[in-house]
Amino acid sequence: MPRLHLTAITLACLTFGLLDTPGRAENVAPSEEQVRFFESKVRPVLLDQCLKCHGPEKQKAGLRLDSRAAILAGGETGPAVVPGKPEESLLLTVIRHEADAPKMPPSKKLPTLAIADLTRWVEMGAPWPGQQDTGTVPVKRRTAFEITDKDRAHWAFQPVRRPAPPKVKGQTWVKNPIDGFVLAGLESNGLAPNPPATKAELIRRATYDLTGLPPSPRDVENFLADRAPNAYEALIDRLLASPRYGEKWGRHWLDLVRYAETNSYERDGAKPNAWRYRDYVIRAFNDDKPFDRFVREQLAGDELPDANNDSIVATSYYRLGIWDDEPADRELARYDNLDDLVATTSQVFLGLTVDCARCHDHKLDPIPQKDYYRLVSFFQNVNPYRNGGPTDEAPIFPDDKARLAHVRMTAEAEKRRNSIRDELTAIEREFVVKTAEGRNEATAIDLEDLKYRYYRDTWDTLPDFNAIKPESAGSLPKPLFDLSPRTRDDAFGFVFEGSLIVPKDGQYTFSLDSDDGSRLVIAGKTVLEYDGIHGQGDEKSVSVALLAGRQPIRLEYFQHGHGLGLTVAWSGPNFSRRLLSMAESQKALAQVRPNSPIARRIATSGVVVLGAKQHARYVKLKADLEAVAKEMLPPDRALCVTEAGPDAPETFVLLRGNPQTKGDRVEPAFLTVLGATSPNIPKPPIGAKTTGRRKALADWIVAADNPLTPRVMANRVWQHHFGRGIVRSSSNFGLQGDKPTHPELLDWLASELVANQWHLKPLHRLIMTSSAYQMSSKPQEGALASDPTNDHLWRFDMRRLSAEEVRDSILAVTGRLKLKMYGPGVYPTIPPEVLAGQSIPGAGWSTSTPEDESRRSIYIHVKRSLMVPILESFDAAETDRSSPNRFATTQPTQALAMLNSSFMNQQAEALAARLRAEAGSDTKRQVELALKLVTSRSPTDAEARRGLELIAGLGSQGLKPDAALKSFCLVALNINEFLYID
Amino acid sequence: MDRNAHDPSQPPGDFCRRTRREFLWEAGAGFTGLAMAGMLGDGFFAGQAGAAEVDKGRFVNPLAPKASPLPAKAKSVIFLFMYGGPSQVDTFDYKPKLYGLDGKTIAIKTFGRGGKKNEGRVVGPKWKFKQYGQSGKWVSDLFPNIATCVDDIAFIHSLTADSPIHGSAMLQMNTGKILSGSPCLGSWVNYGLGSVNENLPGFVVMLDPTGGPISGSKNWSSGYMPASYQGTLLRSGGNPVLDLKRPEDMNESTQRKLLDTLHAYNSDHLTHRADNSNLAARIASYEMAFAMQRHAPEAVDIQSESAETKALYGLDQEKTRDFGRRCLLARRLVERGVRFVQLYAGGAHNDSNWDAHGNLESNHNYHAGRTDKPVAGLLKDLKRRGLLDDTLVIWGGEFGRQPTAENASGTGRDHNAYGFTMWMAGGGIKGGTTVGETDELGSAAITDRFHVKNLHATVLAQLGVNPERLTYFYNGLDQKLVGVEGAEPIHQIMS
Repeated sequence: MPRLHLTAITLACLTFGLLDTPGRAENVAPSEEQVRFFESKVRPVLLDQCLKCHGPEKQKAGLRLDSRAAILAGGETGPAVVPGKPEESLLLTVIRHEADAPKMPPSKKLPTLAIADLTRWVEMGAPWPGQQDTGTVPVKRRTAFEITDKDRAHWAFQPVRRPAPPKVKGQTWVKNPIDGFVLAGLESNGLAPNPPATKAELIRRATYDLTGLPPSPRDVENFLADRAPNAYEALIDRLLASPRYGEKWGRHWLDLVRYAETNSYERDGAKPNAWRYRDYVIRAFNDDKPFDRFVREQLAGDELPDANNDSIVATSYYRLGIWDDEPADRELARYDNLDDLVATTSQVFLGLTVDCARCHDHKLDPIPQKDYYRLVSFFQNVNPYRNGGPTDEAPIFPDDKARLAHVRMTAEAEKRRNSIRDELTAIEREFVVKTAEGRNEATAIDLEDLKYRYYRDTWDTLPDFNAIKPESAGSLPKPLFDLSPRTRDDAFGFVFEGSLIVPKDGQYTFSLDSDDGSRLVIAGKTVLEYDGIHGQGDEKSVSVALLAGRQPIRLEYFQHGHGLGLTVAWSGPNFSRRLLSMAESQKALAQVRPNSPIARRIATSGVVVLGAKQHARYVKLKADLEAVAKEMLPPDRALCVTEAGPDAPETFVLLRGNPQTKGDRVEPAFLTVLGATSPNIPKPPIGAKTTGRRKALADWIVAADNPLTPRVMANRVWQHHFGRGIVRSSSNFGLQGDKPTHPELLDWLASELVANQWHLKPLHRLIMTSSAYQMSSKPQEGALASDPTNDHLWRFDMRRLSAEEVRDSILAVTGRLKLKMYGPGVYPTIPPEVLAGQSIPGAGWSTSTPEDESRRSIYIHVKRSLMVPILESFDAAETDRSSPNRFATTQPTQALAMLNSSFMNQQAEALAARLRAEAGSDTKRQVELALKLVTSRSPTDAEARRGLELIAGLGSQGLKPDAALKSFCLVALNINEFLYID
Repeated sequence: MDRNAHDPSQPPGDFCRRTRREFLWEAGAGFTGLAMAGMLGDGFFAGQAGAAEVDKGRFVNPLAPKASPLPAKAKSVIFLFMYGGPSQVDTFDYKPKLYGLDGKTIAIKTFGRGGKKNEGRVVGPKWKFKQYGQSGKWVSDLFPNIATCVDDIAFIHSLTADSPIHGSAMLQMNTGKILSGSPCLGSWVNYGLGSVNENLPGFVVMLDPTGGPISGSKNWSSGYMPASYQGTLLRSGGNPVLDLKRPEDMNESTQRKLLDTLHAYNSDHLTHRADNSNLAARIASYEMAFAMQRHAPEAVDIQSESAETKALYGLDQEKTRDFGRRCLLARRLVERGVRFVQLYAGGAHNDSNWDAHGNLESNHNYHAGRTDKPVAGLLKDLKRRGLLDDTLVIWGGEFGRQPTAENASGTGRDHNAYGFTMWMAGGGIKGGTTVGETDELGSAAITDRFHVKNLHATVLAQLGVNPERLTYFYNGLDQKLVGVEGAEPIHQIMS
């Protein structure tokens, strides 16, 4: 093919005499022969094969191929043809269908002759009859993205003002400014607000809204009996102060930040210490941490001047997303992970889908593609996630004192450990010498305490293993470097670490051969390095002077593909070549006659060889060594963000989102439509660990004049009280988002949030003490007809409990709920039928104690590919992306689970037991208590009678009283009134 | 089942003068209304504006059967998922030249789990090929039974996918995307068309006895859509659907009493909240659940099938019994109106599925051996019952395999997403056709190259849904199964 290619070009050049002017761009009038060539060989190919996507109708990638001018101008990736230069002409590259390059036409490679013809044509200078003048066919280029005045005038981009509450007729209804805004809307639409809800309805509503749990019968009684004028306000204050508040509202936040504790994909591996972030969020809500601080900690907790444990844990925010540990395209995967950050950050804090501008300018909102990459540049220097290791985890201490104490303790323990080891080695050598085993080379033990770490990945050279999380780790059965713990023959690596027992001071020779790369490190020094991809057969060796005793030894190894192997050997003053690695022949030997480590030999014959005293000393030292190891506890670690240093790599616009086609370089900057200027990012001090860019971003997000952040957050607070935001699309305030039903109210709330120093609890209190919040949810005929979706808030909307509320409420009424807070996730039982869906049933799902199984749902381990059925069934958040709203589906499978699942039947038993314990043996009282527990009100006589009739009826069918009561309990846990709030 | 007939197992009375069907499902909460918009044909932008009405004013049943917007060739889909990736050159993509190259090291660009390589040792096809049927299709000796059906089958030899790694490739074959979190093909189909039989789930998944595929439930997840559209695992014996079986201590009449009492409480509760259709829907959902308990076991009970039919699926032989049983169930399910059935041939890891990295021969002999007869039996049974006309059957894995060896020795092949074979039959697919080609080694698609998205577009098109119009508004965007850029169906195989 290359030969033919050259011939064709030479021929063309000779024929058309273009040798002297191969590179010119101007199209001199083509010769007659060129015209014939173009019309017969080139135009038909372009017409048949290219113009469907690159013609007058469509211009994929911004490219047209129907005129010379258009071809020379090219598309997003640059000119399609450079006249006279086939090697620089993209058009020719793509039609060759080379692996790893774009292929055009996509469905089928052109015939070889057609490719040769087009190459010839480019070589000629791309003559195009009748188009000498490049201006004759104007090219439809992408027009520059314009942000219009209309875009800028969009309500959400206007500064937040604090409008005065409007005047209303029904002033008596107005308890606070919220009511003024709501009532004005109602009055102007001829609607009247619903009457207030009953006190019983209110306590149930408020308790669920702030704690996610039902009020206890005693809470209800106390509240109903409380005649004080401020009884309701006192209730709200009590609920806001409850630790349950953070568990309820923290969950709303976890939905937004796509909180999960695993990575998804094949292994769906657990993220280290992700649960600390969940605890951080719960504490932040309970402590009423100001929202601006909350944002700063999550986005830049490590860059804050007063960074602390909390703010480091908060940066887990960056690490909570999905992560493919084995992506097909690593560079693309890196940008996918950056996209996760842009999407989450822009939707959660700003209520904008900036991520829609990854491949092109936003189709609906005034967000140019450049803005997307400017936002990317804030995160560009973040170390890519690797699921643990120093770039994803940081030690955390309660305070600086604890940190210093830990450093001191570790150093001291290490010193002691070394001295114990020295003494142990001396005794072991004594043993070896005395038993004369040292002369027996075949059974000599050269390596001790040998541990391995195994990694799975593809590398071309040895990676920094310390920065990667191993797939597995352990000890080897025999003290030799051994590749057998691997799980496959390609794309893996090992790090071995242990001690080399050097019998005496002297010169030792080490040799190393491997397929592929390896590195041998002794006493902290690299003595042999044989990196890269290669086969075996070219052994490397080196001579090293070593002192007698125990020397740390480390061997790193990786295997890319094709064959594998590792041979390490040494020789010394008193012995010839001995293998330190497992040879194939030795492998078999090892299985039949395992060499026992020296410690075991001393254990059996130490007293005889060393004498009782020395042996006792040895035993004590061994115990000391173990004790020291226990002292050297690693500190707690947090999942966190880190950066690669103070200098960020450049960021480019990626055309069509493709990392292979870089466009303009961009610098960090905020959204153009907001008229925001570039951030002022101080130059990081020498030795800084980060660029400071994320702090600049966080500062802008919570800046006093950012119109989006306070509106977005105030709206979310409203959303979770009223079941819908003032802007229903609570993460999309863009042009296609829903318009606010009460724009002035939203602004007023946003300004109030900022005026309260971003504290949320005053906002909750304000909202919940309004008349609007305290309205009944009952229907009104006229209002239903004129405002069926309750846009004007003429009533309070009923809502179904969320998934967590359903499960937690069931546990609460059956008396099984355990209110223990915080800590690693718990694992309620998942039925085997569900586990069977995993490729390894039960993998990644542990078991918990019965107490832990009964904890609140927020403490359940969040595994992306496996969810507790009752939570999944009642629409728990989808965790792969930010989730601003919950669904509330009704499905027969929910009913099946609520009737037949073992969880529900256990809970029905538990409720029956509680009834027997608390209501005694009187069935009527049992029934009444059950209904009271699930509805938070006293049942009517008819309701109680209905339960009694069921129990009696079942009894007459032959069911034992306990079983009949349990059946009734199952009914009580299923009634609509339990799952719906008025 | 006749909706109007009085069913003695039902409580008397109706719910606000609505039929039960109208109450069955609800996809509540604010935004979900948007979910329904995409299917409204030309008016779908108008539909989105009225989104919130769905929540309060109207009641919409997301899984109620909907008329397909375009004339439909297929009503149901059976996806026979050959998990792990069968080798194309050893099954249906005949490459005579490859035999002679066995053992030779050649220059070839491959990309598998072992990374990108520029050369490899050819492993010649391990089975002989013969021509079958009117169409003269070449099929390897792995599939003597499927071979007898080639005139009903359209083969696509030129499929490509974006990833040669199981995790992301499985997600792409099932959801169109290599990223986790999107709805599956079965979810899209149920979202678009609903399902005919309300006593059975509309999207059913049957797993291999060795275990689920990697990433487990992500392979039948409804992603960002409501859970109503996710796949339901169905077991071929025992308790077919999770929680379908009543607890030991409860018989049908006890449960009926219980449900009647529940109904009475819920009716009281509804009296003053009659405008809230969610409450009525939940009341109805219990009756549906009760009906499912009665009818679903019948769907998976194959006792009534004749010995001849059972033998047709290979139920009379040990090695084909399991997959045969599941194929037979697939027929029974589509017969009863289930919209989308997915069967996994192979599960768990390594040689428990088609992932033949070590010994190609033993792996493929095993997996073909246990599926060939059942698959052929399914096609023949569907055909003789007239079901093949509107049942689209899909066969294939998440990718194919390389013509060269993965390891220094042995016959194992690494993954290959540059070109692989899948086939379809029934549901308006042109039988006896072949489209696309790989190069002469079978390593990469060169002619009529298609992407997984084209396959998905074909499925939707055969079901009477325009793949460009089936959209779901999420994350600020009208999401499509075929992606924002869209994809054409494979017209060459559509009749």
